[in-house]
Amino acid sequence: MQTSGYRQAFRILIIVMLWAATPAGSLGVEPEDAGTGLPVIPPMNLVAADTPNDNGNGITLRWDCPPGDDGSGAVISGYVVLRSENSREGYLETAVLGPGTAKYIDNGPAADPVTGEKIHFIRNKPYYYRVAARYASGYRAVSGASGPVQGRAQWFHDGKIPVLTATVLFFALVILYIQKARLQGSELYVRPIAGMKEIDNAIGRATEMGRPILYVLGLGSPEDIATIASYTILARVARKTAEYRTELIVPCNEPIVMTIAQETVRNAYMEAGHPDAYSDDMVFFVTSMQFAYVAAVNGLMLREKTATNCYFGKFYAESLLLSETGNIAGSIQVAGTDEVAQLPFFVTTCDYTLIGEELYAASAYLGRDPLLLGALKAQDFAKALVMILIVAGAVLMSFGIDWLLEIITVRM
Amino acid sequence: MTQKPEDIKVIIATDCGSTTTKAILIQYDEEKGEYRQTYRGEAPTTVESPFEDVTKGVLNSISELSELSGRELLDENNMILKKSSPSEGADIYISTSSAGGGLQMMVAGVVRSMTAESAERAALGAGAIVMDVIASNDHRLPHEQIERIRQLRPDMILLSGGIDGGTKSHVVDLAELISAADPKPRLGIGFKLPVIYAGNRDAREEVSGTLEEKVDLVIVDNLRPVLEKENLGPARDKIHDMFMEHVMQQAPGYKKLMEWTDSPIMPTPGAVGAIIERVAQLYDLQVVGVDIGGATTDVFSVFVDPEDEKPVFNRTVSANLGMSYSISNILAEATLPNISRWVPFPIDERELRNQIKNKMIRPTTIPQTLHSLAVEQAIAREALRLAFVQHKSFATTLKGVQKQRTIADAFVQTGTEGTIVNMMNLDLLVGSGGVLSHAPRRNQSAMMMIDAFRPEGITRLAVDSIFMMPHLGVLSEVHPKAATEVFLKDCLVYIGTCIAPVGQIKESKDVMKYSIDLPQGRQEGMLRQGEMLLFPLGVGEKASAVFEPTGKADVGAGKGTRVETVVHGGVVGLILDGRGRPLMTVPDDKDARIQQMLSWLENLKVYNMDELKALGRA
Repeated sequence: MQTSGYRQAFRILIIVMLWAATPAGSLGVEPEDAGTGLPVIPPMNLVAADTPNDNGNGITLRWDCPPGDDGSGAVISGYVVLRSENSREGYLETAVLGPGTAKYIDNGPAADPVTGEKIHFIRNKPYYYRVAARYASGYRAVSGASGPVQGRAQWFHDGKIPVLTATVLFFALVILYIQKARLQGSELYVRPIAGMKEIDNAIGRATEMGRPILYVLGLGSPEDIATIASYTILARVARKTAEYRTELIVPCNEPIVMTIAQETVRNAYMEAGHPDAYSDDMVFFVTSMQFAYVAAVNGLMLREKTATNCYFGKFYAESLLLSETGNIAGSIQVAGTDEVAQLPFFVTTCDYTLIGEELYAASAYLGRDPLLLGALKAQDFAKALVMILIVAGAVLMSFGIDWLLEIITVRM
Repeated sequence: MTQKPEDIKVIIATDCGSTTTKAILIQYDEEKGEYRQTYRGEAPTTVESPFEDVTKGVLNSISELSELSGRELLDENNMILKKSSPSEGADIYISTSSAGGGLQMMVAGVVRSMTAESAERAALGAGAIVMDVIASNDHRLPHEQIERIRQLRPDMILLSGGIDGGTKSHVVDLAELISAADPKPRLGIGFKLPVIYAGNRDAREEVSGTLEEKVDLVIVDNLRPVLEKENLGPARDKIHDMFMEHVMQQAPGYKKLMEWTDSPIMPTPGAVGAIIERVAQLYDLQVVGVDIGGATTDVFSVFVDPEDEKPVFNRTVSANLGMSYSISNILAEATLPNISRWVPFPIDERELRNQIKNKMIRPTTIPQTLHSLAVEQAIAREALRLAFVQHKSFATTLKGVQKQRTIADAFVQTGTEGTIVNMMNLDLLVGSGGVLSHAPRRNQSAMMMIDAFRPEGITRLAVDSIFMMPHLGVLSEVHPKAATEVFLKDCLVYIGTCIAPVGQIKESKDVMKYSIDLPQGRQEGMLRQGEMLLFPLGVGEKASAVFEPTGKADVGAGKGTRVETVVHGGVVGLILDGRGRPLMTVPDDKDARIQQMLSWLENLKVYNMDELKALGRA
């Protein structure tokens, strides 16, 4: 038949080409698989290259599977990856792969067939590779060598360009806004936080009523961000109580928090020009036990009839117990916590509540320090940008346009 | 005064100002059954040397009144003829005074934004000029506060602080400051300074012990018994009493004048406030009144407090904003670009500055050309705007008040700093003072008030015809009916009604569809952004109107909500202001700005446009 004659001529042509392409030192090619009648062809176009975006512990191999490999294992049962430090000899098996495989990243040890010793992959060392196709009939066709190639570490993972861009953009924004804050001073607009604005009035209320102010730093440890933010607000409150000559009570739940709070209040009184009005008894340790602390603070509120209660820091189950007692006692209450679960309790029982990150923003708002203001503004800008990207991405993807996703996707 | 109100038929009222004493005659019209102001006389005030007797100026002004009315008001001894007959005499004589600087007070309180602010409100409401506010937290050292009290030499001090049962130590400290200052009154050598204590009742004993020997101490109820409530009445009344007993007694001729009057003499601003408050109360109106003078600008308002839904009266004095002595301060505070944006022709900075400084050194001059009139009115817009900004920041809800919240408030927590001035609720805007009352065209007064106050929604505009609000204020204490009738019929010259949709609409877009049934026929159309329209509707005339704002605009019923109402006319008519609120910004480009201004001024017939355009070409 005419067709059979063409097929035969094609087979001969491929064999001749492979023969011509096979480098010196090839382990040899069987002309034909006796079982299938197909020619025995090794993996073709083997390319070994340094694996990109890694720390140098891998070399990526790619090849074209021989025509008979349909992935089922019927013709080709798999591949063997061979590695050597020499192009001609000393090839050791580093991996055995299944049929249909056309890519492998080599980073593992190779076993010495004689000694059984494991020879590990070494960064920056030149290697040569070959890949052998294992035919189901028992033939083994080995490709030509590819190499030398070294596993090198990269300085930058180019799949993470979006992360780099975002980082650079964010830091540029921080620097820009810090500069702006320095130039504009206190004129840089920060959204007023009602709770912070009302602190002065709350202190004024206590002064007019001739009653003390209670400041609770919460149950957090000294290193909690919420507690750190609370120190800033405490400093402000203490400065005002010093100016207004109003009594301040700070019961603490943690001895180290107490020590820091004492220092904060002392400094604030000194800054206000009333160091004589400060007493260590203003800031004291009550107990580390959660509900014993609550009982003590509630007792304080009712006995001292505090006019203003401030709760800033980390709060748990005690939030409602404290603020409800204060509400019943008729105190003005201002609270702020990053514990989302406690916010509803504070909102309903307090006059003003700082929600989540507002607690951190409060330090910038109160201090008007260019560094804090600039960072705050940059964060807000970055958040706005993220929100815009989310909305824009969702809209574009809805219409099947994915270029935005492509740009911002991080590839690992 | 022992007369019954119904027996009072003829009233003489005077206002002794710093420069002129103004007298008005109010008579009862038997036929119409109403009180009307009939004649007005004016004479120079004679409180300063060489006369040093305020009554001389009073008698001169009443003589003029007598001549104009043909009614004998003075007897052969130059005394006011009391008991009226059809041809002579008056039933009562009343007076206000701001001569000699008016009532100058200092107030003191514990916290600046709480009891000290309440004390300031009480003093301003009583018609005083508040020279300074001393507070525990005013960031001044005690010796500075003492020095200040000594320097200023007020007529009176109002001391407050602490709620009842509240702080004593702070209040006693303030009393000690006053005691240490040992202040002397401005008028009357050898007299003790009146000090009114309106603070914590528990501290009365200590305050008395501290101050009794050095000052004339009077104790009244606490003006802030609890932080949630102000009780300004007792303090205000006592300020009036002390003004009469102490300050007026020492001023030249006032002792005699006090014997003549049938009701206590009131400080002029206090009287203006009184009539505005009374009219607002009587007709359930929310009102703003402004009196722009040469040295100061007074703003009065009655707005409903959103917290307790009761009307609250507020008065502020912008001591640095006036059209002659203080005109340079307007320039300093408003800045040149803000003033020049209202000038409808090209003007360079030097020329504008020269005109302002000339007015300051020649305060009694009035504009003789259209050029100087337009510039003066541009300055007045900024003075009024700034005075109103100050007023809004003072007319706030009480601070330090406990709030009750629900979870719904999580993201809408408002502070207590909010002003109670809600322009959308404003019913009546009254202007007074030379630049407004004596503008050559009422359209100019209307334009100035709209540009400065930026009324929102539907607002009636009026000006005080001959500055008789002080007279009517004091009359309202004696005869409220006569005072309110004259106020509405003779005192106020209704300019018209301004309809200004709120919202920021894009340029040239539709703002509001209107349909107005005017006497001459129905007017329908669409108001576009940046457009101002004028429809004639005379004094006393009313028209049914339907306004349908577009989605982003609001005329009082909510965004995009149709309003059907009856609008009142005036000497100018109905003004539709499509410039949006906040007011659209005028273009930066000079030519574009002038074109914009000219189109507004032309539509509202503010100036003679041919002359104005000629100025632009020149």
